[in-house]
Amino acid sequence: MKNRTAICISFAFIMAFGGVADAQRLDEMSLERWGKLREVERYQLNIAERFYKKGESTNANEDWKTAAAEYEKYLTLYERSEAAPYALMKWSLAQVKLRRQNTAIKEGFQSVIDYFPESPEAAASAYYIANTYKSMGRVPDSKKAYQNVLNDFSKHAVAVYAIRDLSQIAADEQDVESQVKLWKRLTFDTTRTKSTRAVCVSASNSLAGHYFRLGDFNQAKSSLQTSYKSNLPYYVYYYCRSPISSLTGNDETRELGVKLSDTVTGFLAESYPAAIAEEKDRDQYKQIAYWIIEVLGNSRRDQKVVDSYKQLIAKIGKDDELLGRLGSFYVSRMLYEQGRSIFRQFENKNEGLASVAGSFRSEKKLAEAVKIYRQLAASDRENEVRWKGEEAAAYREIGMYAEAIAIYRELLKIDAGNTQQWLWSIATAHHNAGQLKEAIGVYRQCENFPENYKQMASCHRSLKEYREALVLYNQIVGGSESQAPWAQLQIGYTYEQMNAKEPAIKAFQSVCKRWPKNSYASAAHAHLQDKYKISVTLGGAKDE
Amino acid sequence: MLAWCILLVDWAYMQILPETVHLIVGVGEIGLGCYLIYVGSKHWDIKQIIFWCCFSIAAPMLWHGSIAVTDYFGLEMLRAFAARVGLVVVFFTGLGWVIWYTEVRSKWFDQARRVDPDAAELAPSWNPMDPLAPYYGRKSPKLNQSLTGFTGYSIIFLLVCILLSSIDGCTRFYDLPAGGGEQQTVAQVVKVQKIIRKRYVVNPFSAISFDMPEIDDTQLELEEITRHNYKIGMGEGEGAGFASGTSGGKVGFIRLEYSGGDWNQDMGVGGDLNMLIKYFELTQQHVKEKTESVTVSQLGTYDAIRCPPVVYITGQRSISMSNNEIKILQEYINDKHGMIFGDNGGSRHFHNQFVSMMARVMPDVRPVPIPLDDVIHRVPFQIPYLPYVAPHGGKEALGWFKDGRWICYYHPGDIGDAWADGHAGVTAEIWNACYQLGANVINYAHAEHHKWREAQKRKEDEE
Repeated sequence: MKNRTAICISFAFIMAFGGVADAQRLDEMSLERWGKLREVERYQLNIAERFYKKGESTNANEDWKTAAAEYEKYLTLYERSEAAPYALMKWSLAQVKLRRQNTAIKEGFQSVIDYFPESPEAAASAYYIANTYKSMGRVPDSKKAYQNVLNDFSKHAVAVYAIRDLSQIAADEQDVESQVKLWKRLTFDTTRTKSTRAVCVSASNSLAGHYFRLGDFNQAKSSLQTSYKSNLPYYVYYYCRSPISSLTGNDETRELGVKLSDTVTGFLAESYPAAIAEEKDRDQYKQIAYWIIEVLGNSRRDQKVVDSYKQLIAKIGKDDELLGRLGSFYVSRMLYEQGRSIFRQFENKNEGLASVAGSFRSEKKLAEAVKIYRQLAASDRENEVRWKGEEAAAYREIGMYAEAIAIYRELLKIDAGNTQQWLWSIATAHHNAGQLKEAIGVYRQCENFPENYKQMASCHRSLKEYREALVLYNQIVGGSESQAPWAQLQIGYTYEQMNAKEPAIKAFQSVCKRWPKNSYASAAHAHLQDKYKISVTLGGAKDE
Repeated sequence: MLAWCILLVDWAYMQILPETVHLIVGVGEIGLGCYLIYVGSKHWDIKQIIFWCCFSIAAPMLWHGSIAVTDYFGLEMLRAFAARVGLVVVFFTGLGWVIWYTEVRSKWFDQARRVDPDAAELAPSWNPMDPLAPYYGRKSPKLNQSLTGFTGYSIIFLLVCILLSSIDGCTRFYDLPAGGGEQQTVAQVVKVQKIIRKRYVVNPFSAISFDMPEIDDTQLELEEITRHNYKIGMGEGEGAGFASGTSGGKVGFIRLEYSGGDWNQDMGVGGDLNMLIKYFELTQQHVKEKTESVTVSQLGTYDAIRCPPVVYITGQRSISMSNNEIKILQEYINDKHGMIFGDNGGSRHFHNQFVSMMARVMPDVRPVPIPLDDVIHRVPFQIPYLPYVAPHGGKEALGWFKDGRWICYYHPGDIGDAWADGHAGVTAEIWNACYQLGANVINYAHAEHHKWREAQKRKEDEE
């Protein structure tokens, strides 16, 4: 009784939520057909499905093998059932996962087509044949199989997937003409359903990108129009930037790029709201103006960018965000003074000064930047920690570690909540300054094991205190499972620095023996062979 | 001397004379070289020039002799060492003579000027042996002369080396072993043990009949051993081999030399020679006595049809190839129907290097994981899983498939190490599988090449 209730509940659940997935995946059976199965059939198929799903999550050969065996069992027991073609197809998919693609094609997918030509799995199997050939590098066979899909199942979603895959093959073969033809077919001639929409949208994006690269705005726009009806200007802006940048970056195509950017900006300007009295309209106006400015920036016309910013300021007035964008533009073009003059106009004076300091740092004028940070720390007591942190970072940029450390120590006192952060900054500053003993002392106070131990060990090795480094690496081996292979490898290298050949070999061998599947084991194996001519086994693992 | 030169040319470029001739000459050269040094050393105190003359004649002889002997015995590491040391010794010997001659001639100029400073013919000349030649300048002319001599000699030596190494020599040939066979999976030797059925004592008046058919009354305590006795190869012919082969043809193991890395990893005796011997054991096809290595330019000198079906590339460092070398590899694969057998000898870096190299060689072909049920993994030996020593480049064999065949097989896990003595410590099951996989790849390449050779022959006949 309990079982029946459970089945009913799960069936109702599947009925309610399964429909979405049904439309998405080729390797799933419709709920309607699940309903036609007898209870014993459903039970056996569910077992197979469970292992298949487990295989999908673990990708372990064992799971795939079990799933294949369960599907095979289903076929043996219920070869006349509704789900027989489905089980055969899933068995084939499990074979693909087991890297037995030829078996999957000849004994699985092809059998589905031959013995169950009317089943929904026949179309999917035809597609899987083509796709499997593609994954095996057999491009001519794959093309032929895709053509069969297009001929035999032209109304099915697999036809759309086939066109998509063919366009990928054309891309690999650098056959742009075929690629464009296929994109056009997906963009303009394909009826979009739930399961094919994503493919068509992606094709329309690619086609638009292609036309933008040719400087053909109208074609690009009509491609995008098929996918984006409501917010077309945004997608035009989004997909045109990179082509405009590449066109204007080349002397031969610069003119075309400039022309295209003018057309795009003209198109974007059409979507400006008529009035900007309301806040919402003003925001929309600003957003479109930013897109236009970015397009102009991509067309490498700096003066136009500046003019556009000025026009925008004239239209909607100044605000910190707008000034920040303009100032940053100047700084990005190394026009630091102009940038700073803009930052100084900020309503939020502190943020403006911070941006000014940032521009000084970009210009490598650290003294001025530090002066501003100090001024900010004194005037803006609420954000004192932030400004002092910035000041210390500025000192570190020019290698004035002593000054940076002094500030970090001060921060340690005034910002007790972030003690670990400041301790780490002090330790790394000492480390960078070459004050290794001091660095070790501070790293010891940090709590981010095993990172602090790694750094301490590195300092000890630089100080030629190998014993201490070994102790730390051993602690990492014992305390951090994920870092243990790395630490064991470092133990080997440390012994090498100590000219202790035998323990070094033992340490490398230990990496190979304890973690044979880890990439560090591979490094240790190669090192042993290369340097000591020692062969050590990594188990010679086999997948079965 | 002429005979020696002929031998040298044959050894370096032609390979017509039998190897034993080279061995005999090599041993003779070593003996003669040692004798010359012995003779020279007797004159060490009296006249150095005699010693150096003897040494200068002996050095190239010893160089060539040691290379010939180590080459004959397949001592690859020693051969490479002898080649390098010999080159250095010959360079310095030549340099010594250049210094000596410059010194003698400049002394002559010096002395002649002291005897008769007004002689018109002894005015500073353009002769490079004259230290007062105007181009040596006024400041330290002697030093400048020495430096010029050293630089000039080094450049000439380098150019000669480049010239000699770039001479391709005559066309090389690679023949398949004659024979025939089938491209089928070898059935494993199976021991079938029949279970002895128990006989039940039953009521003789029972309604159930317990009479068994006669066949079950046979002697059941037996072991049946089934063997598959067909030949491994292709076409019709006697013995295992290929119908397009020749009686002198043998399967070889040819390794590709490249710059930038350790191409000679596990080469020769105790290394890839094990694979070649095992190939004979597994397939019964005739194999060469030892493994070989060729540079990419030497690979280009092979005949358009009678060329090696497969070349092996391994290492764990970088692969550096010029555009010309890439072109030769492209020609080898596309026009000569060759195949590359790559093996990652020990690093992820080599994996990337190999894949990049193949991207240059075959830009229109993408690597794909080779299915475990592909012919290359089934014939002649069934390989149910990919055996490897260490997964340096992953756990899947990659392949480049073009025109209906694999043009490159890349093993990511140091298969060469499993072939070598010690088998890298892996279990017998794995190294045996590695040998079988090696045999499959070599056999696949030869079978494909045989098919192609036959097609070429038919084409020629039709024309």
